[in-house]
Amino acid sequence: MELEGISKKEKEESGGGGGGGGGEIEKVNLSSAGASEIEYVSYGGEEHLPLIMGLVDQELSEPYSIFTYRYFVYLWPQLCFMAFHGGRCVGTVVCKMGEHRNTYRGYIAMLVVIKPYRGKGIATQLVTRSIQVMKESGCEEVTLEAEVTNKGALALYGRLGFIRAKRLFRYYLNGVDAFRLKLLFPRPLYSLPSQSQANNDNMAMPLPMED
Amino acid sequence: MAGTTSAEEATVNLPLPDRGTPIPSGDHTVWADVSPLLDAACKDLQDGMLIHGDNFNLFAAMSALEIMDPKMDSGMVCKYYSVDEAIEDGAAPVPTSFDKTVDVQRTIDIMDHLLACEATWHKGHSLAQTVFSCIYLLRLDRTSSHALLNSYCRVIRATCKAVISVVSDARTHEEEDLFTMTYGLPLNGDGDEKCLSMLHAVEETISRQLRACKAPSSKTRVLEDLVSLQNNSELEEGYCKALLCRLRFRKHFYHVLTSMKRPQGRGLELARKHIASCISELEYTLSSSEILRSSTFGSHEGNLEDKTTASGCEPIGFDASLNCRLSAPTPPRAIKILSWKKAVEYFIKLLHDLDVICSYPLDPSLESVLHFVVEFQKSQPDLVARAHLQRLLVQDGKLYGRDPIFAVIIRAAALPESTRNHDIQKQESIIQLGQLVINLLKVLCTNGAWQRRKLGKILQDWRVVFVQIEMAFRKEFGENANISNDQNVSVKLFQHILLWVEKQTYWIACRFLILGFELELYSLSEYCMVYWYIYVVLIKLAEKTSLKTVVCNDSGKRKGKKKRDYVKDVARDYRIPPAVLFLQCQICLAEGLTMMLAALKNDRMLVQSRSPFNTEHERFIQQFELLQRACIPDHVSFSLFVESTTQACLSNLVMYDYFKDAHRIAKEIKSSFSNDPEKLAELRRLEQVAEHNSIALNVISRAGAQDPSLKVSFEFNHHPCFATAVVRRS
Repeated sequence: MELEGISKKEKEESGGGGGGGGGEIEKVNLSSAGASEIEYVSYGGEEHLPLIMGLVDQELSEPYSIFTYRYFVYLWPQLCFMAFHGGRCVGTVVCKMGEHRNTYRGYIAMLVVIKPYRGKGIATQLVTRSIQVMKESGCEEVTLEAEVTNKGALALYGRLGFIRAKRLFRYYLNGVDAFRLKLLFPRPLYSLPSQSQANNDNMAMPLPMED
Repeated sequence: MAGTTSAEEATVNLPLPDRGTPIPSGDHTVWADVSPLLDAACKDLQDGMLIHGDNFNLFAAMSALEIMDPKMDSGMVCKYYSVDEAIEDGAAPVPTSFDKTVDVQRTIDIMDHLLACEATWHKGHSLAQTVFSCIYLLRLDRTSSHALLNSYCRVIRATCKAVISVVSDARTHEEEDLFTMTYGLPLNGDGDEKCLSMLHAVEETISRQLRACKAPSSKTRVLEDLVSLQNNSELEEGYCKALLCRLRFRKHFYHVLTSMKRPQGRGLELARKHIASCISELEYTLSSSEILRSSTFGSHEGNLEDKTTASGCEPIGFDASLNCRLSAPTPPRAIKILSWKKAVEYFIKLLHDLDVICSYPLDPSLESVLHFVVEFQKSQPDLVARAHLQRLLVQDGKLYGRDPIFAVIIRAAALPESTRNHDIQKQESIIQLGQLVINLLKVLCTNGAWQRRKLGKILQDWRVVFVQIEMAFRKEFGENANISNDQNVSVKLFQHILLWVEKQTYWIACRFLILGFELELYSLSEYCMVYWYIYVVLIKLAEKTSLKTVVCNDSGKRKGKKKRDYVKDVARDYRIPPAVLFLQCQICLAEGLTMMLAALKNDRMLVQSRSPFNTEHERFIQQFELLQRACIPDHVSFSLFVESTTQACLSNLVMYDYFKDAHRIAKEIKSSFSNDPEKLAELRRLEQVAEHNSIALNVISRAGAQDPSLKVSFEFNHHPCFATAVVRRS
């Protein structure tokens, strides 16, 4: 089993996938200022852990022990973000990064936004922050798995530039297939480790194929 | 890392002393009491902290269990701690009831639930939590006094073993590794080889009981000294029939498995007879549901759709939690067993799939084998059927266990039969090619998701083997290799094989790309580049197919003709073969779709959001990485794609409509395939796509550019991989 071969569900803001109960859920109305009422916070320490665990336990089907959470947030606190509304934690993203078959790769492990707050772009904000940090940390690509039925998540990641690299047959224990999604960052022509991101962005030229 | 404390340093590396023979202290070892140290360390540890080594990784973290968490603690969710405890508690009595009528009802329920469990297992859950949730099966010897239950359980066990053996042999189970996991299950028992004779004896008895109850008087019964099945004479006939069709299904199904196992497909004809019997017994079983439902005393509320028995009653003698500790490494799950109706449907589908396999005429031509497998996969057969197909195709490294792979390659490369013993087959690269062919056959029998991944990987192997064969050729014949010399059989062998390998490689590439549609791996924003890639690969495939046809005709006609006459003949006789025209039709469609999508994008009718993190170039690299790495085709790159599509605009497209070409070719070549219903159906589909897209293109170009309310989307309603443009006004 690969390290990433951990089945887990990702529920997304549209609530379209995974049979999100629909009409019963009361949507929260953010004022015209909208998204600005949501505050995004980077993982700050042990006091945040119960908030993250609460959200994930509530929304995702896979059971994770406390060690799994700690594995992620202790090693990559900079890749973990939370969304707060009026002091309440309403969403979170948990990630890791590391060497994988000769590439430095980011991995989005868990992404949750509670139902009343879906459809407001919170998940996009959360995940974009993590991906940005991965990019700045020298990741060449980012991967994750999502249920094939989770249209909301697939659309979100599609907008961010992810492709569906593989289909994983009956990946989840509920028998549903998953897609392995991948985002490849543009590769600078002369990749010097110290080169700043701003420079990289300017070098929009054809890149050599990967060998 | 998480919870690391100073206690880590407190780990003391002492062997556990054996109580009987304590290891004495010596020069290098001394016994010390570490309790105070451990106590101190424990005080430092808070809830959720742990001591760990450097190798504590995500897998280790994921494997940790939280005791008494019902999602993780498999010990917690069990009702019983052991099978014995369940039996002592009366969870699986033998007989199931002392009332003979109730005993029969319950036995039928057990049979039905076992069928549902078996189908659920085939569909990808563990044996331990499905079929072996049956306590009677876990302790088969307990049922020896109950011939009916005993023989049924025994044949179930033997059947499971036979199915596991097929799936393990085929190694298709790599894709679904839960299937063959049998750790800790009592799968091997004595006497299973006698299961059919036991089943037969029981069937005999019940047949007689059925005859007896249908006889006008009690004459027969007295004559034969026969005890009735149960006590309620009104129900006797219905119950006898319900049992008979269930027993007979098991008998025939077991026969299907054993017949199909016979080498070189020798048992296929017999298997078909048993398949037909299986299906009719299942139909009887379905029709028995009504009488079972009306005669049971149990509750009738609830829909039969989600019940696991025909009667709608809960079966006794099952406990899925008993085995859940055997289902490691995954945490225990409550498995939803398929309903009885769904299970019967599953078996009917399985039997139809097996029947398709058994009716295949074992054609020695590789091309038709590949075509057959691809067509077979369209009905989305499940693991068990695919494993059977694979075992039939590849046995002992030969096609059908009969035709040596080199002979198969010779035929595929259009070489004469006389070359099948040529020494070239001993060359390393040719041996490797043989292995690639076997591997390809196996890969094509796996599920779509797995298949695509494997096809992507083997593309490179095919490319490498091509280069190796080419090198071997040059080494043997030097630079003169290019000079055609039909006197030399070896040259001809090499040339034919090389051409065939190239063609086959493009065929695999095509299959790889097309499977992406079936697996929904492409999104609208990628369609343009995908169709473009399909287009360039198809052109290569058509080129090689065409060349191969010429070469074949060449070998056929050349004999006895002077070279000059021959060249004239070719010029006069040459007609594009239907197989190439067929590809040509697909090429036009792929090109048409590429250009239409590019024009829609260039004319801003398909708005595509820009990714904040990458560009179309990165998505191109990722989508076609494996093809590019294997240089399939040569000199194809992102810049070529951009070059070919950047000028596309709607006004030009209408002037030259690729779809009209596709439509025309499809119409023209139908007559060439009048004996091939599958090809004809495919041509009709291609024709429809071409027609609809041609109309859509016209509508868009007439109204489009000025009309922002026009919305274009793409659907797969006519063909699984060639999309149809749909124009709507918003």
